[in-house]
Amino acid sequence: MQNLADIPRWCEDVTDSASPARFARRSLLRAAVLGRADETRAPVTTTTDGDTGAAERSLLYTVTGRILDVSPHVLVLLTGRGEQRFALAASATAWRGGPVSPAALRPGDYAVLRRSLPGGPVVERIWAGVGRVTGTIIERDGPASLLVDEGPAKGRRIVMIAPEASGRIQVRFPRLEPGYLIDVIGLKRDGFLQALIPATAQPPYRAGHQPAAPMVSGHIPDPVSGTVVWHEPGEEPHNLLGLAYPALDPETSCEHGSYLPSSFSGDLYAVDPHATGPGCVRLPYLSVGSLLRLRNDCSERTRLLPVTSCGATARLFCDRCVTCGTSPRGRIADLTMAAFVELGGALEAGCFNATMMIGG
Amino acid sequence: MLTALREVQIPVLAVMLLGGCAAKAWRALHARSAAAGMDPTGLVPLHLRRPAVVMLFLAEALLGLGLIGTAGRLGDAAPHLAATIVRTATALFFLIAVGALNELRQRRPDAGCGCFGELSDTPIGLRTIARSGVLCASALVTIGLPPLRMPSSSTEAEMCLAVLAVELALVGFLSPELGDILVRLGYTEPCELQRIPVGRTLSVLRASSPWRRYASQVSTAEPADVWREGCWRFVVYPGVVSGRRVDIVFAVYLQARRPAVRVAVLDAATDEILGLAGARPSAVL
Repeated sequence: MQNLADIPRWCEDVTDSASPARFARRSLLRAAVLGRADETRAPVTTTTDGDTGAAERSLLYTVTGRILDVSPHVLVLLTGRGEQRFALAASATAWRGGPVSPAALRPGDYAVLRRSLPGGPVVERIWAGVGRVTGTIIERDGPASLLVDEGPAKGRRIVMIAPEASGRIQVRFPRLEPGYLIDVIGLKRDGFLQALIPATAQPPYRAGHQPAAPMVSGHIPDPVSGTVVWHEPGEEPHNLLGLAYPALDPETSCEHGSYLPSSFSGDLYAVDPHATGPGCVRLPYLSVGSLLRLRNDCSERTRLLPVTSCGATARLFCDRCVTCGTSPRGRIADLTMAAFVELGGALEAGCFNATMMIGG
Repeated sequence: MLTALREVQIPVLAVMLLGGCAAKAWRALHARSAAAGMDPTGLVPLHLRRPAVVMLFLAEALLGLGLIGTAGRLGDAAPHLAATIVRTATALFFLIAVGALNELRQRRPDAGCGCFGELSDTPIGLRTIARSGVLCASALVTIGLPPLRMPSSSTEAEMCLAVLAVELALVGFLSPELGDILVRLGYTEPCELQRIPVGRTLSVLRASSPWRRYASQVSTAEPADVWREGCWRFVVYPGVVSGRRVDIVFAVYLQARRPAVRVAVLDAATDEILGLAGARPSAVL
């Protein structure tokens, strides 16, 4: 454990950032000193839904909020800008544990909407109550209850495997035992996630024992292609447009080392992803506030996204996305829900293949 | 010939044991966790793995030092007894290693033995098991050997060297780590993947001409912000230029020889660029 007095004031404590404006200003300062004047300030905290100006960096397609009312043709959502009404396209589809009619959604559910056109009033896709747990199984209680460690920043989550999804999940995750990895999508309930869909196939190795990355000859290729996944907002704003990057500079991102010693038996299985090496994909060290241009190879949408948090858990997974062809390498970024939907991803699919240009 | 063969085993065994011990310690220190060396202990229950790693480390260190300490005439009181105990324990250690590696190979065919830390990530093969077998036999032939002495003639010395060379060649052939070592000796990670302490970057910065030019305008000793993007590390200091509050931004290219350092001065309130300086290399991000 580091003593607080030993932590420099420029330390990126991304889990408890009190000065996001500092991170947002970094791209401007970088552009100034490197003479790349085309780059401007990037929002690292919140974005406005459909605002004009800074359109490149704000949500154009995506709206997040709590459902207030829903009818066959209109959905009323409580967003950061207050109550908003959206027309439902005739072809609009919704997901709430599975494909449902939009009219079947429940008031009170937290929802992510995708508009048909940028900033438009018509909605084509809705996800309600969707959640995801990605990490290491540290305790199993009976056949359907798991305690999962999501890393030092996110903590631990309870996963209950729904009886109707048990077979589907066990086909992709045959080892639901402490020490093995899990990545499941489902419905958020009070205090737990009801797992319904496997988000990937379980890696055959124990958590932290992923194969070593190949040595790099010359510089890392730019752009780099690979798998992109999403994560729940946690303490981040729900409409944050950004990504968790797997290779934050360990010298300034305050990786506080391993866990505190504890008598809890599950701690034996918990893995600190920062201590397990670089993972299967070698990526250049970046920092919070760095800008990346990300292209969804499936939908062909491209956005400029800032790094907003640490995605070291992605290093534990050496898997490939097969959403539209097989990705050439493993996880290169872990997007916020809003960014994932904004780029055309389907939350229930869990991933898409992407090309990432470092430095915007 | 036979005596030379037996005498050579002591230094070979000691070097192998202490080398393995040092490599495991290096891995644990590098990863800041003893858990990093747990591959060879994959056979024991999880809660016993950390103690098993420590015991393995201690056993190698004690046996390696014991072999050296009991090789000569040191401690004449009961030299044969101490030497015999250490050499028998060494033989037993490698005999257990043969069995454990064989078991681990069957249970976890993807796991490396971890014998030499991060160099031993290659899945366990017959060569690794055979190496432990050879070292076990080496330890057995040293039991009962009288204290080591310097060769009495050049012929005897040449014989010892020849036996040593053959033995090292055999161990090298049975060590999959050797290939990794040769590859790593000729490999340098690109700058964007190298972990470089902030202190080193600040030292480079303070020895540069852009720093000397702007040092008098910097108003705090500690930087206000430090971050990294690929091969560049950026350092921001607050300052005052002609009565205006400014941010002085330095960019340091992370390479060992003649790193480029650039600087820009921005108005702290308006972000207007007031000045630029420094080399502009065609550098990777």
